[in-house]
Amino acid sequence: MSKVSTRLFTLLMLVIMSLFAAITFGPADIDSSQLLACMIGSCQNQVADIVIWQVRIPRVLVALVAGMGLAIAGAILQNTTRNPLADPYLFGIVSGAGLGATVANISLADNLTIALPLAAFLGALFSVIIVVFIAKVLQRMEQLLLAGVAVSFMLASITQFILYFGEPFATNRVIFWLMGSLARVEMSNFYVITSVLLIAIITVLALHRQIDALLLGDESAASLGVDVDKLRLLMLAICAALTATIVAYCGGIGFVGLMIPHIVRQLIGVTTLKLIIGSALIGAIFLIWVDVIARSSLPHAEIPIGIITSALGSIFFLFIMYRSRAIT
Amino acid sequence: MSTLLNISGLNWKVPNKTILQDINFTVSKGEVIGIIGPNGAGKTSLLRCIINQANILTSTNTSGSVQLKNRPITHFSAREIAQHFALVMQKNDSIFALSVQDVMKMGLLPHKSLFSLDSDYDKSQIELALSKVGLSHALESLFNQLSGGEQQRVLIARALVQASQILILDEPTNHLDVYYQHQVLQLVNKLNITVIMTVHDLNLASLYCQRLLLLNKGQLICDGSPKEVLAPEQLSNIFGLPCQQNIDAITGATQVSFYLKDNCMQNITTSEPLSE
Repeated sequence: MSKVSTRLFTLLMLVIMSLFAAITFGPADIDSSQLLACMIGSCQNQVADIVIWQVRIPRVLVALVAGMGLAIAGAILQNTTRNPLADPYLFGIVSGAGLGATVANISLADNLTIALPLAAFLGALFSVIIVVFIAKVLQRMEQLLLAGVAVSFMLASITQFILYFGEPFATNRVIFWLMGSLARVEMSNFYVITSVLLIAIITVLALHRQIDALLLGDESAASLGVDVDKLRLLMLAICAALTATIVAYCGGIGFVGLMIPHIVRQLIGVTTLKLIIGSALIGAIFLIWVDVIARSSLPHAEIPIGIITSALGSIFFLFIMYRSRAIT
Repeated sequence: MSTLLNISGLNWKVPNKTILQDINFTVSKGEVIGIIGPNGAGKTSLLRCIINQANILTSTNTSGSVQLKNRPITHFSAREIAQHFALVMQKNDSIFALSVQDVMKMGLLPHKSLFSLDSDYDKSQIELALSKVGLSHALESLFNQLSGGEQQRVLIARALVQASQILILDEPTNHLDVYYQHQVLQLVNKLNITVIMTVHDLNLASLYCQRLLLLNKGQLICDGSPKEVLAPEQLSNIFGLPCQQNIDAITGATQVSFYLKDNCMQNITTSEPLSE
């Protein structure tokens, strides 16, 4: 077994162990024997059964696929744009989702359970369409990131304008949603995110050689038969759909897509196949444990998950900058 | 020798500028052809047309035809073109830490289907190609940490893995010192495949190419052996410098020397720019 295979296998084991370990954390006092009994379907305590199957397991499973999805989206964007700072959030996806959520909150007071994620999803897709349109008009696909940053600020300013004049309760709801949380996720969310994630993974696995060819430049990839613009657009659409789905259910969880691929490149490798598999595994472990921290650090409250990922991400970012300074 | 490529009546014009004008020539299997000329002569543009890069030949700015094995190049898909032509450019950099093996695997792309993984045969082809360019030891090395000459050799090895019939090189000796310039061109010369390359250094082109195409302002001025193409009067007219042709005592190749005399300097500074 090669070094890379050994590391991937170890990570897979860690994912499985994290899944089971994370279920043991939570405010309800459930001991390990009770937990085991409930998991194999012979639960004596009905409350424990509900907590495990309707709260903890959906939450851990959504953390698993959301972590995988955000990390994979970052990895795809970084390889297809050859930019190690590319992140789904830089394409205005969260700002778009925020605008969608704001509009839903302000205009639809009822039925927010369905309307909020749906509006966030539509808002995220709307922002990506604007970004791609601008890059197309400029005829410079490499300016996608800059266009994304501009669109992100534009949509954020519209959101803030609406919130400023909005009803305080609705404004609060949007702000808390934007901080990110897995507190209200359900099993159905897991199925939706998993479906989009599977489509993304299958597409990337099919096209991994084409994406790799981009790593030595657009001209080099084109000489190997790759339709560079089409491939980049397809990958952007996949990342947008994946991130928008996750953001719609979990709110804003920043920096995962930026951070995880950097770690994977050091541990596993830089080519797409290794990067995607590694990002999926490390992204899952990361978000499962960040969610555990979010729900167990304070006695009677949860810390929004986006606050923790952003705090860790910014420290990580500064660490990378410091290290690159030391190298150069 | 059988004809592989046939370029006839090739024109490329953009508003206020003629990039290529009425280019005609054929390429036979096994030839090593050098395209020479001053800056802005259209050398790289000609290479781009040959491989129909970014579908140039279907744009309204171009006319004429490029035929590969008697079939218009515009009828080939991008993947088919990649199966026939391998392109090695002046410089390739990656921001990520790609290994030589990663770069070599890119050469397999035109022959691979979706989802495909590397086979043992692929690995043996990669090892064989690297041994041909003398870099067997570098399989696990980082591409960006190799010297410029080694990087060019890796890209030539990638072209061998690509198993194309025609190798296209755009200024393969740019950024290389004298030793690596000779090393890379000697390697290309010994591969026994059809090669078309743009070369800035006329003496290197003469030494390593069987046939030269001299371009100036988008026109094909001369097509022939190095001795014919490197005629002093012709080169003097194009480069605007007095030129002398001689035979190298060691290699026996035609060589040219240019002189910048004091009176020539006055002519140059008062005349039109020599190149773009």
